[in-house]
Amino acid sequence: MLPNRSRLSVLVFLLPPLLLYGVAVLFPILQSLFLSFFSWNGISDMEFVGFANYVHMLTGDGVFWRSFFNALGYLAICLVLQLGGALFVASLLTSLRRGRELVKTLYLLPAVISTVAIAFLFVRIYSIDPVGLLNQVLGWIGLGALERPWLSDVNTVLAAVSAPEGWRFTGLYMLIIYAALLAVPQELEEAARLDGANRWQLFTKIRFPHIRPVWITTTIMATTYGLRGFDIPYLMTNGGPGQSSELLTTYMYKTAFTSTDFGYASTISVFIVVECLVAVGFILLMLKRKADA
Amino acid sequence: MTAQTAPVTRPIPAPPSTPAPQRRRRKPNFFRSLSRALIVLIVVVQVYPLAWLFLTSLRNEHDFATGDPFALPSSISFDNYVRAFQTGNLGQNILNSFIVTMGANLLIVLLGMMAAYALQVLGFRFSKFVRGLFLIGIIVPVQIALVPLFIDYSSVNLLDTYQSMIIPLAGFALPMSIYLFSSFFEYIPRETYEAASLDGAGPYRIFGLITLPLSTNTVVTVVLVNSIFIWNDFIFANTFVLSEGLKTIPLGLQNYIGAMGKVDWTATFAAVCITITPLLLVFLVLNKAMIQGLESGATKG
Repeated sequence: MLPNRSRLSVLVFLLPPLLLYGVAVLFPILQSLFLSFFSWNGISDMEFVGFANYVHMLTGDGVFWRSFFNALGYLAICLVLQLGGALFVASLLTSLRRGRELVKTLYLLPAVISTVAIAFLFVRIYSIDPVGLLNQVLGWIGLGALERPWLSDVNTVLAAVSAPEGWRFTGLYMLIIYAALLAVPQELEEAARLDGANRWQLFTKIRFPHIRPVWITTTIMATTYGLRGFDIPYLMTNGGPGQSSELLTTYMYKTAFTSTDFGYASTISVFIVVECLVAVGFILLMLKRKADA
Repeated sequence: MTAQTAPVTRPIPAPPSTPAPQRRRRKPNFFRSLSRALIVLIVVVQVYPLAWLFLTSLRNEHDFATGDPFALPSSISFDNYVRAFQTGNLGQNILNSFIVTMGANLLIVLLGMMAAYALQVLGFRFSKFVRGLFLIGIIVPVQIALVPLFIDYSSVNLLDTYQSMIIPLAGFALPMSIYLFSSFFEYIPRETYEAASLDGAGPYRIFGLITLPLSTNTVVTVVLVNSIFIWNDFIFANTFVLSEGLKTIPLGLQNYIGAMGKVDWTATFAAVCITITPLLLVFLVLNKAMIQGLESGATKG
């Protein structure tokens, strides 16, 4: 604490940021909570309905549950691609002698491209007429039987809209994990190697425990980002065909701005927030406990 | 998409207790070339779609519709770029994105620095609580703000303005910025402040003469990292902006989907190439600083 500070100076520095944050983040959260108890289309009078929105959402809305499980599938695919891919590539990268910077830069490249551009790009990659990259590759390697319109097949569409999101940010997580791996003390690895540890043991016993704090951070980042995923599914399929790629976020958006049911949309967004908090708590619990054991 | 989900290491037998020196040298080499090959493969898979995007923007339509998607363009044509500029409003879109990015970054840097200064340097009784409040903004998804802000904006006539995009973009980015500035301010030695205090400098002078000038590097980091996300923001722009003149790049790109979903793909890809260029150039020139920023942002967390 500074000796000469006054209460006023604290307020001068703290109030403007709090004001912006309050207007943009805190107040809307409370407002959503408030709206979730009402039925309102934005024009007529608001009508207090108590917990009716929540009851309807949890017990009477098939689309909601469909979107919920889709969102979990989307999250799972993103996590595997982003974290699994990032850990794999970061580990490989530490064994590389030259060109690390180049690989890092190239690998991060998709992260700077807008989701609209990515959506356009992947629509073409998945397309069958004219034949897109993916179907072409399948044809070449003798899996021509798998060729299909990936975005209109209800069995593949969810995976097809998740993959671009995984692809987009894997570079970011790779950077973070790579930086953590570099910080693992060389002496420890040397000592383990002299004791006859193989590469797998080296990884599970020395490297991974060392990067665990960073791993927790990246898992939380990837999970919260995965749960708020919206742009790419919305732009590529708009939840279709049917509801087979509908996520909670896209369903919420449509409820709010297509069916203008602000009350029910707020109920869904409250659910999304709760879901994020639960997920973060769950990750902390799981990974922390493992660290203690 | 990519073959990235394979187990992290292949089982390699533990070295025998007294390995011959020659063998010892060869085994890591084999492993190294294997990982080199894998990395090259993964990077190619990762970057190829972008290269393809660029190549397609140079194809003519006939070539695109009938040709092999992997082949090089049969002839290079810049017609697509001409059509891209005719169809859309690219100049205006880029200008709008620039305004929004600048405005939001200004708020993020200035307010983030101020809050971090109050929390980290000045200190006060409820600082733990305030930090907790800011943590919420990192966890909650941005979608929660859409409906409330839409309603609030329409009651104060802020819909369809630059501010309608800048306010939530800055608000949701603020916690990370506060966090980065806080962790930087920790490194400024206490004695610096105490000496300045003894010389009679108040908190405002200390902020302006010591903290602010020392933070240049952190400012660059914060701006770079946030610019990626703000420049590409789709959701706030799509929700709050209606008029053509305010559309940012992501919305502008959508205009290339014509009526009945008929898309002039080659022109669209040309437009995509034009719009990603500014950020890509900044990224390639400053990628060291940006990579450092991204790394430090998370590893300290």
